[in-house]
Amino acid sequence: MPAFDVANKIRDALDDIKAADLDDPRLMEVLGLAENLVDTMKLFFGSMDHSLLSEFKHIGSYISRTRDEIAALRPNDIHGSRIPTAGAELEAVVNDTERATESIMTLAEDIMSTEATDLETYKMQVDTAMMNMIEACSFQDITGQRVSKVVATLTHIEERVSRFSEVMGVMDAETPMTDKEKWQAENLLNGPQIHGPATGQDAIDALFDGETSEAALGQDDIDSMFD
Amino acid sequence: MAVDTNMPVLVVDDYKTMCRIMRNLLKQLGFDNVDEAADGAEALEKMQSGKNFGLVISDWNMEPMTGFELLKQVRADEKLKGTPFIMITAESKTENVIAAKRAGVNNYIVKPFNATTLKAKMASVLGDF
Repeated sequence: MPAFDVANKIRDALDDIKAADLDDPRLMEVLGLAENLVDTMKLFFGSMDHSLLSEFKHIGSYISRTRDEIAALRPNDIHGSRIPTAGAELEAVVNDTERATESIMTLAEDIMSTEATDLETYKMQVDTAMMNMIEACSFQDITGQRVSKVVATLTHIEERVSRFSEVMGVMDAETPMTDKEKWQAENLLNGPQIHGPATGQDAIDALFDGETSEAALGQDDIDSMFD
Repeated sequence: MAVDTNMPVLVVDDYKTMCRIMRNLLKQLGFDNVDEAADGAEALEKMQSGKNFGLVISDWNMEPMTGFELLKQVRADEKLKGTPFIMITAESKTENVIAAKRAGVNNYIVKPFNATTLKAKMASVLGDF
């Protein structure tokens, strides 16, 4: 029962006692004080109930909105279906490219080791190997489709996470690197750059041939050393 | 002095396919005596086991020991420090190239590369062959 209603009940009970026409003045005095106390309590709990209710309504609406936004993220779909599928697609890409490379390289090695004593036989062997190489290159079409599916999954996740972050006003938290991540950051390179090598082979050659000194490197090169 | 194409060459890469490509390219260039290692630690062990490698061609990104660490260990080893060393990487930020040069690398190749580039860099390190 809300505190406001409890106070009302006590007030009613006090009125009943007073109506009983008691003779003892001290008891009437106590009842008067009790009435004052109950009225004060009524005012206090009344305002408190109202502000608490308002706070709880606000929190309830926030939780409801958060739940709706999390539902819109479709985390079960992402975790249970999309990410495992994308992982399986990438694994298939790695396997397909490895198999194709293996085939092409074996065919090339076979041709290189073929004796060219009988030219007609040699030409036939080379033609067959070349056809097999061309067939092996068909992996590119399949891997292209697989990679497109993975890109679509990443885009799907990115859109939903971005929307969630925007709506909920989420700020990025600092997360410490694991020991392995620290080692990799300090010792490994980042791998191929998206738009080709940062420093071209010609610039590297010039550095090793002594045509360019470290001191003669451009500002961008110097900046990158301090970034 | 002519380059001895029978000298042992050590190819260090954690991708077997890359090792196989290197082995084939080296074979085309006349170098048949090729050994492989999957990371710096395995390469160093092979080098310290007594086989006198005439050239090391190493990738940078490998675990647990990188090609850069291998280079530093080789240059710090009295017996191995004179071994010609070529680094091959997919990333070529200037600071990495300079760091490798300062650590004593003899040449640096950016992936992807072709046989002509490989031959030119090997020739600049070993002499014409």
